[in-house]
Amino acid sequence: MMPSSRRGLTSAVRGVCKALDGTASRRPPSLEQQLRSLRLSSPALAPVPGSRRCLSTESSDPAGSRQQPPPQLAITAAAPVNLASLASRPRLAEHARVLPASASYFSRTPVFNEHFLEVYKLSRTYANLPVIPSADAERVAWKTLFDLRQTLGEPVKATEYAQCLKLVKRLHLIHPDLKPPAVTDALRYFKRDVQGFLNAPKPIAIDKFGRALGVGRRKASVAHAWVVEGDGQVLINGKTLADYFGRVHDRESAVWALHATDRIDKYNVWARVTGGGTTGQAEALKLAVAKALMAHEPALKPALRRAGCITRDPRRVERKKHGRVKARKMPTWVKR
Amino acid sequence: MSAPNCLRCLVRPSAALRLSAPPPASALKPATPPLTAAASRRAPFSTTPAAAAAPKSSSQGQQAAAKGHVRKGKRLTLKGKKKQKSLDHGKSPLPGERKAYRKRITLSNDNAIKVPWLTDLAAPDLADPANVGKVLALPPTTQDQLRASEAFKPTQTWGMFRQPAVLVRKETVDLTQRMQEAAAARKVLRMVVTGNKVTGKSLMLLQAMTHAFLNEWVVIHLPEAQELTTAVTEYAPLADTSPVQYSQPVYALKLLHAIRKANADVLAKTFTVSEHSELPQSLPAGSPLLAIANQAKEVDSAWVIFQALWNELMAPAPNRPPILLSLDGLAHVMRVSDYRSPAFEPIHAFDLALVRLFTDALGGAVKFPAGGAVLGATSRNNSPRSPSMELALAQREAEQQQQQQPGVEVPQKDPFFRGYDERVDAVLRSVQVLRLGGVDRREARALLEYWAASGMLRTVVDEKAVAEKWTLAGGGVLGEMERASLLTMRV
Repeated sequence: MMPSSRRGLTSAVRGVCKALDGTASRRPPSLEQQLRSLRLSSPALAPVPGSRRCLSTESSDPAGSRQQPPPQLAITAAAPVNLASLASRPRLAEHARVLPASASYFSRTPVFNEHFLEVYKLSRTYANLPVIPSADAERVAWKTLFDLRQTLGEPVKATEYAQCLKLVKRLHLIHPDLKPPAVTDALRYFKRDVQGFLNAPKPIAIDKFGRALGVGRRKASVAHAWVVEGDGQVLINGKTLADYFGRVHDRESAVWALHATDRIDKYNVWARVTGGGTTGQAEALKLAVAKALMAHEPALKPALRRAGCITRDPRRVERKKHGRVKARKMPTWVKR
Repeated sequence: MSAPNCLRCLVRPSAALRLSAPPPASALKPATPPLTAAASRRAPFSTTPAAAAAPKSSSQGQQAAAKGHVRKGKRLTLKGKKKQKSLDHGKSPLPGERKAYRKRITLSNDNAIKVPWLTDLAAPDLADPANVGKVLALPPTTQDQLRASEAFKPTQTWGMFRQPAVLVRKETVDLTQRMQEAAAARKVLRMVVTGNKVTGKSLMLLQAMTHAFLNEWVVIHLPEAQELTTAVTEYAPLADTSPVQYSQPVYALKLLHAIRKANADVLAKTFTVSEHSELPQSLPAGSPLLAIANQAKEVDSAWVIFQALWNELMAPAPNRPPILLSLDGLAHVMRVSDYRSPAFEPIHAFDLALVRLFTDALGGAVKFPAGGAVLGATSRNNSPRSPSMELALAQREAEQQQQQQPGVEVPQKDPFFRGYDERVDAVLRSVQVLRLGGVDRREARALLEYWAASGMLRTVVDEKAVAEKWTLAGGGVLGEMERASLLTMRV
């Protein structure tokens, strides 16, 4: 009987293998080998020299066996495998041990991988949803690599983090009206706990007396300045500018916001300053007056920024280090 | 700008160098290197022939070039003694010279630009309300008088301008008008000038003195009260005084000299009413007061002469001049002085005869025959605390304000405080108080314009500049305006 189709051939080969199971090697032959051996055994095909190996398992004498195949080994095709029935058959506990639900279990970073995969799937699923320009999207502070490592306790790789966050940001740009809840849920995990961008600056109001209160800080000083329309009078903690600041430079710093915008004779300042030294207090006042001035005239912001009255100077006293006399100073070199 | 060519010989500077240079030095003295290197390094714009100066005898580079590598200077010395440098700084200043330099008063600066519109003060100018907000110059005679009575102070900025000039403030006119009224009514204006730091208190005294000098008053000015009470001048008990008073003869002599120099004209026109036999040279009645002052030559007789002069000025006679008695640094006399009695008891400042003369006049116990003014100015430099004086001034000020607005509360004594001085209270019970603050914008502008015209302020004086300086000076405080605009240029 000749196998009429490829499937038939395969099953035929299987039959051979089963029959030879007792003597055959433990290694299962590959499909290619099976096919070659089949070619060799079927008369329709020319003998292939490389096929000997497969048959060598049949007997100890390969030279003789090639010429004279044993007559009693008739090749019979096995019944075709019904895949549908195989699939339908309930698979009972074939394994003795519990398998984890996710293959990530076996990686170094299982939780991260789970989230990564989820994001990946979502990004594939919703790749065609319309996106908005990134400038229009809500600003979100994403977890940094450091944050992620801290929260997960897993050694997340920087490259994987970068890939993941790229997808996260892409998903974030999906149009808010069309964004599926699954995406929102998945992205929530990657957001930082504290969202600084949600802190909307409170606009400074001008009260019924025409005063605007600005608060400024520098070093250890805090200044509260009430700025009101007037003629250039300045009172700081109940003293005039000249009484409060001995240095002319400090006086100029304190009213620098008004000076830089040519408003020195248009407003009066009544200020309360605490903490720090004279320089810190003067520069805290600079910021406080600038903020209050912006409440009166918001259009002055660029001019004030150019004058350096907007940005808070974050410098503080540098801490002392052990082994040093001060923050940086090394002890005196002593011979021996 | 230097011309590219030498103006004398019309030769280009480089050519002139070559022409005027001596023949190659190597021909004369092989050790000396050629000068060309040094000469070519001269500034290219200088037209002075470089070789005209004597050739540099030995600079290190030349030596190195001559002898090759110089080992001596490079030798490593581990334990060698350092050569003591005997730097010759010239003659060191004599004792007192440094202080004299520090305390010198410079009243003019020839480098300052002359202000064309500056006019000299005349007699009625300081009392004229039309002059408020004007800068007016002190006439030369008045300058001498003020200098003699030590009205100028070394901290003031007279030395920056070509001519001493003062800004007429509202307070100035107020004060001088009151002085005039008092003199017209033959009364004594008793006033204390007070105010914050550098608000112009001493300058207000100076303006009052200027007004007095211009109007032919007799001015007796005690420039530093601390010289009287900090035990820096000699003192001696006065006979026939109970409780004992103390004279300060050395200071009295100095004061007499100042009075004589500053008021010579007026004193020469005023004559004694009684004869003075107690003086070193006895004077008959009808001799000029200047003759009394002229007798002050020795310390021993100084107090007697001063008393004679004072008594003559106080004598009720028809043509006496009005008197301005002024003192700067009031807090120093309103306390117990640093002097000690023979029993080592502290002496109250009011027991010093000269101080008592002033405080009696300030307290209203003395009537000047032709009226006049007694002015005291507080000081914020090196002044002792005097709680009684501070309280009294605050009370008088509140009482003055009460006349305008009745709701003002007059501060009262702290019942639990012991530091008050009854004698001080008594003196200051009825004085007037003139409080000085900042000037207004108009006056500030006048001053800035004067500074700018003198070339001392190098900005355009517009509203913006005035506002800025006014604010930086804490609301137009004059001394602070000087600091913010004038003294920033001082290098």
